Amino acid sequence: MKNALVLGALAAALVCSTAMAETSGKRIALSNNYAGNSWRQAMLTSWDTITKVAVESGLVAAADAFTTAENQATEQAAQIQNLILQGYDAIVVNAASPTALNGAIKEACDAGITVVSFDGIVTEPCAWRIAVDFQQMGVNQLDFLASKLPEGGNLLEIRGLAGVSVDEEIHAGIEKGLAAHSNFKVVGSVNGDWAQDVAQKAVAGILPSLPDDIVGVVTQGGDGYGAAQAFAAAGREIPTIIMGNREDELKWWQEQKDANGYETYSVSIAPGVSTLAFWVAQQILDGVDVPKDLVVPLVEVTQDNLEDQLAATGAGSVTNVEYTLEDAQATIAAAK
Amino acid sequence: MRTLAAKPWFWSFVAAFGVWLATILFTGGASTIGVSQAALTFAAFSIIVGLGQMFVITLGPGNVDLSIPSTMTLAGTVALKVMETNDGLVLLGLILAVLVGLCIGVVNYGLIKLLRIPPIIATLSSSFIIQSTAIWYNRGIRIKPPATLIQFATGTTLGIPNVALVALLISVVIWVLLEKGIYGRRVSAIGQNMRAARLAGVPVDGTRFATYVLCAVLASLAGLLLSCFSGGAALNMGTEYLLSSIAVVVIGGTAVAGGSANVPGIWGGSLFLFLVVSMLNTYGASAGVRLLLTGIIIIGVILAASRRPLA
Repeated sequence: MKNALVLGALAAALVCSTAMAETSGKRIALSNNYAGNSWRQAMLTSWDTITKVAVESGLVAAADAFTTAENQATEQAAQIQNLILQGYDAIVVNAASPTALNGAIKEACDAGITVVSFDGIVTEPCAWRIAVDFQQMGVNQLDFLASKLPEGGNLLEIRGLAGVSVDEEIHAGIEKGLAAHSNFKVVGSVNGDWAQDVAQKAVAGILPSLPDDIVGVVTQGGDGYGAAQAFAAAGREIPTIIMGNREDELKWWQEQKDANGYETYSVSIAPGVSTLAFWVAQQILDGVDVPKDLVVPLVEVTQDNLEDQLAATGAGSVTNVEYTLEDAQATIAAAK
Repeated sequence: MRTLAAKPWFWSFVAAFGVWLATILFTGGASTIGVSQAALTFAAFSIIVGLGQMFVITLGPGNVDLSIPSTMTLAGTVALKVMETNDGLVLLGLILAVLVGLCIGVVNYGLIKLLRIPPIIATLSSSFIIQSTAIWYNRGIRIKPPATLIQFATGTTLGIPNVALVALLISVVIWVLLEKGIYGRRVSAIGQNMRAARLAGVPVDGTRFATYVLCAVLASLAGLLLSCFSGGAALNMGTEYLLSSIAVVVIGGTAVAGGSANVPGIWGGSLFLFLVVSMLNTYGASAGVRLLLTGIIIIGVILAASRRPLA
């Protein structure tokens, strides 16, 4: 009898702690600073897909997405102030700047709003951060190259947009990887701005001056296909180019794999990380104790799962994962 | 030599040649063909958009077209999506790209003339609309160009990249328009003094209208070529041509205040802009140093060019 009572109380506690009852009246907003590339488009589409179901099933009252026209911190700060006035309970933000939005974020926190930043995170302590381990992305590239080419060799590095922290972070990871695998040497470095056409142009410009024995290209995502085009145009043998999960990159890899057994490795984060942030915000609103710093899981494409991942990646999109409530709970548990 | 040095485009070629030489010397000349072909290929895109921007800037202070990047994106996107890798539809794709340019040019000048919005604001706002249309039209999907167009855009004829030949053809037409045709005289007259031009009987509105349309059409063609060259249209593909279209005009010796333009300078400026980045990459300069040096060199070239005696 006593046991049954305890069990009953436990069951009641469990029911109360499931999301349904607690957050059905809550409204969550997505504040997004940029929509002009395929990654951000996939991010917004994932947000729509997942939150629509959540709203229809009554889990939350609303989950609206807002994107600023210019990729400007001041504009996004104004947008967040509007969201505060509109009375949202939580704001999920992909920030234009890690520091410039802090004032607006603080105002939101002071108004009792839960703020969860992801991908482009903010430093304001009252907000949650779902950060990408960009350094790991760099380290993984060198680890793969070392396993594929144990004898080492010359590398070309394609970096992102100069002056952006993400570029510095991935580069730092690559430096770390180079220190661990000292038989590799970067003989040339260009900025590809994470765009195929810019990468193609930059690589085409430096290639004639590089030695013939380039064995690998380390990248930051969005630039691998352009690099491959530049090598092909120069009539050079195509080295092992690390890819960044973009559909055109994976498709090119698949074609090469079918034609000549080309081997490489691809890593990035899923645009669906916006849905992970959504669930984390929902969990916080639900009263769950969530650590302030969480890490986004990396999505890897390898020689073995290339076919499956490519099939699951929409034309012009990025290999995506739409996260579930359970994924979010697992991420939260991992950070504790 | 003295007359040559007095040409406004002279210094852009000196600069381009200097960085070209420095780049190929790095490998003792072994990279000459590779560097030259790459420079001609990538300069071609800046040249085509730069020619359009040159006419717009020549119209006088305040005239600039900021919708070039989004026009390139929309034209590339629409043309590739309609062609759907089908070789038979190449002509249709080309016509559509030109039509996209025509429409954007008409809208741009409509905003400027009918709503009396300054060109900078008008083309900036239309660029938002154009970019959003491109996003709405295919949500960032990269569609491959038809095989014939890929072959053409990435191929060479007698060792010269085809895209550079296209740029050359367009440049010759533009040069005739500017130097030999009445249209070029009218653009320069408006740029020197719009009121005087109007009193002298120059059809100011018609000329300005034609200029904005021409600029948008050239941007569309460049967008189509670029998307065929780089294996598909991407939403962010035109971004870097916003500033570079203006930079090549200025480096090439066209007066920023309007009223005086020249075609060769666009070639000098475009080749220089590509080569200076390649040179600094080749010598292993970090991104910070590279941007710094690029800025300093551009200032140097413009200073050298502007010391010419006033005619």
